[in-house]
Amino acid sequence: MHVQVNARNRAYRFEIAAGEKILYAGLRAQTGLPYECATGTCGTCKAKLIDGTIDDRWPGAPGKKFLKAERGEFLMCQCAARGDVCIEVASFVYPSDPGACRVAALSGTVREARALAHDVTSIDVALDAPCEFDAGQFMVVNAPGVHGMRGYSMVNFEQPARRLEFLIKKKPGGGFSEWLFSGKAAGSRIEMLGPLGKATFYPALAKNLLCIAGGSGIAGMMSILSRASQERYFEHYHGHVFFGVRTMKDAFYLNELSALREAFPRNLEITVALSEEDVPAAAAGEFPLLRFERGLVHEVAKRRMAGNYHNVRAYLAGPPPAVEAAIRVLLLEAKLTADAIRYDKFS
Amino acid sequence: MSRKMICRKSDVPANGLKECEGEGGIKVLIANSGSEYFAVQAICPHQEVPLCEGMYDGTVLTCHQHLWQWDIRTGAPMGIAEAPLERYDIAVDGDAIYIDADSQGALGVGELFHGIAPETMKALTSLAKREEFAGGSMIYRLGDPADDLLVLDSGRVEFQLGREGRVNPAGFMLKKGEVFGWAALLETHPQRIASARALENSTLLRLNGKEVLKLLESDPASGFLVMRRLSSLIARFLVAPGAK
Repeated sequence: MHVQVNARNRAYRFEIAAGEKILYAGLRAQTGLPYECATGTCGTCKAKLIDGTIDDRWPGAPGKKFLKAERGEFLMCQCAARGDVCIEVASFVYPSDPGACRVAALSGTVREARALAHDVTSIDVALDAPCEFDAGQFMVVNAPGVHGMRGYSMVNFEQPARRLEFLIKKKPGGGFSEWLFSGKAAGSRIEMLGPLGKATFYPALAKNLLCIAGGSGIAGMMSILSRASQERYFEHYHGHVFFGVRTMKDAFYLNELSALREAFPRNLEITVALSEEDVPAAAAGEFPLLRFERGLVHEVAKRRMAGNYHNVRAYLAGPPPAVEAAIRVLLLEAKLTADAIRYDKFS
Repeated sequence: MSRKMICRKSDVPANGLKECEGEGGIKVLIANSGSEYFAVQAICPHQEVPLCEGMYDGTVLTCHQHLWQWDIRTGAPMGIAEAPLERYDIAVDGDAIYIDADSQGALGVGELFHGIAPETMKALTSLAKREEFAGGSMIYRLGDPADDLLVLDSGRVEFQLGREGRVNPAGFMLKKGEVFGWAALLETHPQRIASARALENSTLLRLNGKEVLKLLESDPASGFLVMRRLSSLIARFLVAPGAK
C-alpha cells in the first residue's frame, strides 16, 4: 500500500502498513510531514483526502475541532489507509533533515516503575534494539490494553540509548496511568514510535538555556540538562531552570537537580516555583543548592529573568495553559522572537 | 484610488487589533501602533487561524497557534514564519479608516512585488493581462516557450513534471498573489520545465517577462527588491531548510 502526499512544493510517495497511521508512515519514510503532538490534539497534521479511503481510528480526537470535515480534512496522526491513498498537505514539505534522528517503530520491556511523588511515576524501558534520539524529544507510546498513543518525553540522555526513561503523571481515568499505577506495568511489553519533536538541545547551539517546566513537563528538561551536563556545556553558557509544582509534596527530582547545580555552581541556577503554598522553612535547608519561590512558574521566571535574556534559547513544557503563559511572557515582555523558543504541544 | 471605509479609529484598541471586512468580503485586520494604523490579512497564512486572536504588542503580531510572527508595518515575516502577511494601503481621515481597494489586488499583495515603488506598481498593473482558465484546463505545458510570468488572482493551479503518461505532481498554488512561470524573469528561459493546469476555475494575471524586466531596469531599487524576492522564492522550492 502506498500514500501519495501532494504538498505545496512537490509530491512524496511512501509505503504504509495495514493499520499504520499516515503520519507515522510518512515520518518513518523521512518525509517531513507537519505535526506537533502526533497524538490527536493539536491539529497541526491536518491533511485533505484526494483519493482513496482512510480509516479514522479516533473519531473523537480533540484535534478534530481544527478541521473542516466537509472539505475532506482529517488528522494524519489518527488515520490509517485502506488501500492506496492520495492526500494533500497545504504547506511546504521537505525531506527530513539528514542529520536528524530517524523515526522508527520501537519496542521494549518495562523494567522498573519508580514512584517519584504521590501522583508521578517514572518507568524504565529496556529497548529491544538501541535507538538514537536528541535531548528534549519524545516517543508516542502504546501500552497493552490502552486505547491510542500518548506522547512522553525521554528523561534520560544516552547516545545510543539502550533504555528509555519516561515520566508519567497519574490522571484519574487516564488509561495509561491507571495501567501503570495498577502495579502490572513491570515486565510488560510496550510499542513506541519516535523519536519525535523539535524542542531539541544540542551543544553546538552555543546559547544560554532557559528551561521553564510545569509538573511532568520537567521530563524533557532533565534530558536536556543531562546532555548539557555530560558535555560540560554550563562551563561556557548559563542555564536558568524553573520547575513549577503546586506544593513541596508535588515536587520530585530535587536531588537530581541539586546534583546538577553542584556540578556547575557558577552558571547553573535552578528555581522551584510553588504555586499553591508559601515556601516551607525547611525547603532551603533540605535543598541548599536550589532556590524556592512562591508563584506560578512563568511569573517566577519573569521576575528572575528580567534583563537576562541575552543570547537565550528557551525550552517550555508542561500543561498547555502554563506553556501558553510562558510564551506570552517571552514574546511580549522579553521580546524574544519565536525562533528562540522551543516547545512541543502535547500533554 | 477607489477607497472604502473599513472601520473607525475608535473601533481599534490602542496598540490593539480589530478584524474588519474589506473589498469583496475579504477579512482585513486593522492594527493600531501608537499614532499609526496598518491593515493586513486577517487569517494566518499558515493554517487559517484568525490573527485577531493572536498576540500583539503594538509592533510584532504573533499567531497564537504556531507562533508565526510579522512586523505589522511591513507584513514581513519574523522568527519562524515562512510567509509574509498581505498588507493593504489605508488612509485615515478624521475618525474614519479607509482601505485602498487596489492594494488588495494580486500584484500588490503578492510575494514578488509587494512594497515596490507606487509608480512602478502602477506601470506593472498596466502591463498585466487578466485571463480566466476553466477548471481542468492547461495553462502551459512542459516545453512551451517561457515568455510570460503568471500571478494567481483566484482559484488554484497545479504543476506536473514529466511527459504524458508519466507525470508527477510538483506542487500547487492556492494563494492570491503567488507567482509562477518565473523562468520568464531569468536571463535564459527557453522553455517551461513543468506543466501548469488550473485545478478549479482560476483567474490569472499574465505579465510578459521582457516587459517586466525593462520596467524594473528603470527603477533599480524596486528591481533589486523583486530580484531578491525571486531568488528566495526559487530557493524555497529547491532547498531543504536547515535548522533555524
